[in-house]
Amino acid sequence: MQQVAKREEIFPRDPNKTYSLMAIVEGDSFQVERGPDDTLQSWPHLMVRELLLFLLVFIVIVGVSLVFNAPLEEPANALHSTNPAKAPWYFVGIQELVSYSAFLGGIVAPAVIVLSLLFLPYLDRNPKGTGVWFSPDRKIATLLFTVFVIAMIILILIGQFVRGPNWGLYWPWA
Amino acid sequence: MSEAAYSLKESIRQLPRNIKESVSRRGAGTPDQERAAAIFGNIFLHLHPVRVHVNSLRLSYTFGLGLISFFLFLILVASGVLLMFYYTPSTQLAYRNMKDLEYVVSYGVVLRNAHRWSAHAMVAFAFLHMCRVFYTGSYKAPREFNWVIGVCLLLVTLLLSFTGYLLPWDQLAFWAITVGSNIAAYMPWIGEKVRFLMLGGNEVGQMALLRFYVLHVALLPVITVILVAVHFWRIRKDGGLSRPLND
Repeated sequence: MQQVAKREEIFPRDPNKTYSLMAIVEGDSFQVERGPDDTLQSWPHLMVRELLLFLLVFIVIVGVSLVFNAPLEEPANALHSTNPAKAPWYFVGIQELVSYSAFLGGIVAPAVIVLSLLFLPYLDRNPKGTGVWFSPDRKIATLLFTVFVIAMIILILIGQFVRGPNWGLYWPWA
Repeated sequence: MSEAAYSLKESIRQLPRNIKESVSRRGAGTPDQERAAAIFGNIFLHLHPVRVHVNSLRLSYTFGLGLISFFLFLILVASGVLLMFYYTPSTQLAYRNMKDLEYVVSYGVVLRNAHRWSAHAMVAFAFLHMCRVFYTGSYKAPREFNWVIGVCLLLVTLLLSFTGYLLPWDQLAFWAITVGSNIAAYMPWIGEKVRFLMLGGNEVGQMALLRFYVLHVALLPVITVILVAVHFWRIRKDGGLSRPLND
């Protein structure tokens, strides 16, 4: 029978499984004549969630903007430098590294970070553990990346909060 | 169809339906067909798949981090366009424009706040999204290139934020960009030239302000939109969001 041949083609019988595809339902859905899978229509299931998330983000941003004012200091003055002069927070970790070594911290470290991120998927290719948070199959990768993230956060925190005049150490309450 | 169907009277009677169908580019179908057509018949939504795996909808899998970054970008574009009406990229006027936003323009201060906080949040959420993709191993084949596009998007996000940082032309902006551009000057051989190209001079001044402004409001947003479109489209072409292999 044509139905049986088609059924075998879509969902082959597996001797290790106690169940099999019994019939193919006729109809006009996109799932008709396909094996079973766990998918849903993007509209409405995905789009409604996206819309709700957008509203949440919008409300939070407007709420924060009503309460907290963006910083605005004195007009720019090329003759009078602020001390310390700090880069934006996401570059302050790099600035902290620069204070140890201008070339290694300012050029080599950022270049190494960007290049290793770009080449990562071509160097770490084992598909094991894909699709699972902190998969036990990827312990080393998880550990290395976590070290990188924590190092970045610590450098940013040091640069942002415990660096005072002339880039000397000082405590935020000092 | 008879000639009567094209008569003026009939056309007016059918006007709402005909306009609706000409815009949406589709006729009626079964409910499933119409839902699918709502996605692939729309130039913006066709970047999405018509169907999504239930795993992609689990909030605890993605935490919506990539979407949040994208929504913050939309808020930044909207608030940024409004800010452009009140801003002049001139060392004489830029700071005065900031004060006008604060004291003269209705809700100007909220507008500037929204732009500033969304920008900080976008850097943070783009980074968190990268962490999610790493920890779930989602950069593995066939999604390698989408990870590369994502890294480029993170860099463009940093550049967008950095170029915007100078525009208020206050002490914070001026010295942050001075420090940042000095880091670039540490590059061997070409460092000084790179900084000169970036600032349009040897120090932060009118040329630097204009360059950063043009990059911030024109070039970098266009690059972002193109990369985001490819990024989203590749999710669909690469088989949706990653999920466990045996699923």
